[in-house]
Amino acid sequence: MLNFIAAIGKRVLSTLSQIGGIFILLKATLFWVFIGPFIKKPISYRNIFQQMVFEGVNSLLIVFFVTFFTGIVLAMQSAYQLAQLGAEMYVASLVAVAMAREMGPVLAALVVAGRVGAAITAELGSMQVTEQVEALQTQALNPVRFLVVPRFIALMVMLPCLTILGVFAGMVGGYLMGVFSIGINSGVYIDITFKFLALKDIYTGLIKSVSFAMIIALIGCYMGLNAKGGAEGVGRATTVSVVTSFIMIILADCVLTGIFFFSQM
Amino acid sequence: MENREVVIEVKDLVKSFNGRVILNGINLKVYKGETLVIMGGSGCGKSTLLRNMIGTHRPDSGSIFIKGNDITKLNESEFDKIRKIYGMVFQDAALYDSMNVEENISLVLCEHTKLDPDIISIMVKMKLELVGLRGFEKFMPSQLSGGMRRRVGIARALAMDPELVFYDEPTAGLDPIIAGVIDKLILDLSKKLQITSVVVTHDMKSVFAIADRVVMLYDGKIIAEGEMSEIKNSEDPRIKQFITGSPEGPIQFLQSGDGYLDELTK
Amino acid sequence: MKIAQKQNNDITIFDINGDIDINSSPDMREVFENIANAKTMKVVVNLSGVSYVDSSGLATLVEMLKKTRSYGGKLRLANLAPKVKSLFEITKLEKLFDIFDTEEEAGANF
Repeated sequence: MLNFIAAIGKRVLSTLSQIGGIFILLKATLFWVFIGPFIKKPISYRNIFQQMVFEGVNSLLIVFFVTFFTGIVLAMQSAYQLAQLGAEMYVASLVAVAMAREMGPVLAALVVAGRVGAAITAELGSMQVTEQVEALQTQALNPVRFLVVPRFIALMVMLPCLTILGVFAGMVGGYLMGVFSIGINSGVYIDITFKFLALKDIYTGLIKSVSFAMIIALIGCYMGLNAKGGAEGVGRATTVSVVTSFIMIILADCVLTGIFFFSQM
Repeated sequence: MENREVVIEVKDLVKSFNGRVILNGINLKVYKGETLVIMGGSGCGKSTLLRNMIGTHRPDSGSIFIKGNDITKLNESEFDKIRKIYGMVFQDAALYDSMNVEENISLVLCEHTKLDPDIISIMVKMKLELVGLRGFEKFMPSQLSGGMRRRVGIARALAMDPELVFYDEPTAGLDPIIAGVIDKLILDLSKKLQITSVVVTHDMKSVFAIADRVVMLYDGKIIAEGEMSEIKNSEDPRIKQFITGSPEGPIQFLQSGDGYLDELTK
Repeated sequence: MKIAQKQNNDITIFDINGDIDINSSPDMREVFENIANAKTMKVVVNLSGVSYVDSSGLATLVEMLKKTRSYGGKLRLANLAPKVKSLFEITKLEKLFDIFDTEEEAGANF
């Protein structure tokens, strides 16, 4: 029994120290994004650009696929419900609002967490265990400035872009389903879509995706930089990074949705 | 001897990990221009000592002076200034995977100096010539053999013309000929460029080839320190055992005794 | 590091004083660039006041040599301190440059 409590205590302590570590990393990252460039040479744009291509452009297709088919599925499922009220045409607004507020940001973030977050942890993790991070330190090159900041900035820019694409792809999927299979008039579908889709739906979605980008980049980098124990350790860190990102994304989504739509703001 | 300029001075250094004391009161001096070898068996704390000297580990107590600055008391940005006067060669070179040989060497120059890219590219060629790898600028680290990676690592450490270079097990895992090449390179650099070198190794052949002075570490303490010849003729059985590589002697690696039978039948 | 420039007939002479290192070599390069842009044919660099040249300094001299050669000009070095001379030998650059013991020797027979 005592062992059991001790094990829980150990677990809690290590989780707390990880959370602390992530906040320290956030502080250091923000320092090098906003204050660092005025003291030292700015981060190389080439580096950020490379990361943008890897993180963003190469994720285009998979984000498109996932959101496009989610749009179709949303249309089918809601059509079944709405048909009982005789209100099939509201499929349009339901798909649009659901995609913009919820499905677009979350799905894009989950895809990117799986693809990019894992890659960030694996890359930084293998740099850590092969002493490359230490080598950077001995050359007076700050690892946060050099490794974390480009990935952080690139993801903060690219994930919202991917989200916009995802929202659009989902709406296209819903439109195709609604017009060609459910039989809603094309003009009516588009009309209803834009009648119900408010600006707030879009910008809350984008705020969400920026926060998700922070979560993915920070957790990915933190787990990578703290990987220990050779190739096996890197593998373990990658798994932990993806799982933690998934949980944190859903948790953050829940909190942000509450703040945006269920509080007196 | 004593009036030579001291480059590094370690005073009463103590470091422990998870309650286990790795370094237990280390005192040593490194003089300008010499090659000091820190030798000892696996797990004796020599790598930890090196990592304290380069500042990637911070000691529990004690101090380390590099050119008169106590690096244990410096903050990161003050320490960065010290970092520019030394170079570090890592055990498996630790080249940056995503960059080619030229970028590996020039990175620190691009980041810390105002030198023109043309000048930097000439400098990279000169550094590669020093380690005998001219023409390999565009190779990626994964395309190089172990010995070549090690030499690029040395060229990278020399990028800023350091007066002090640390080597971590520079010959570990290399065949005897390549190991000899690396030894000769370390020797050449320290003699020609008057670089002060601190080498951590357990390769006795390498120790005999390059050392001016030797420090032997055992169980977190320095058990011998002196000129190469003194160490060679030492009467200390522990040093004799280490030099000859004998399994029998005061340094025990095998668990033996009656405990075994008790443990089996417990 | 200080650089003084003087003219002896058609020969441009630079007197360099102080260490040539990573901090000062960009200044030296700037001075040299003007010379190369003006396509000065005969250049002598007097290193008598220099006790240390690091690799960025050597690289700057090499680049200067490359530039003067490109338009058919000549660059000569004079008055190297023993320590500096040995640096040129270690880096195998002593064969690349025309090195003279004194400024007068360097100025003769251009």
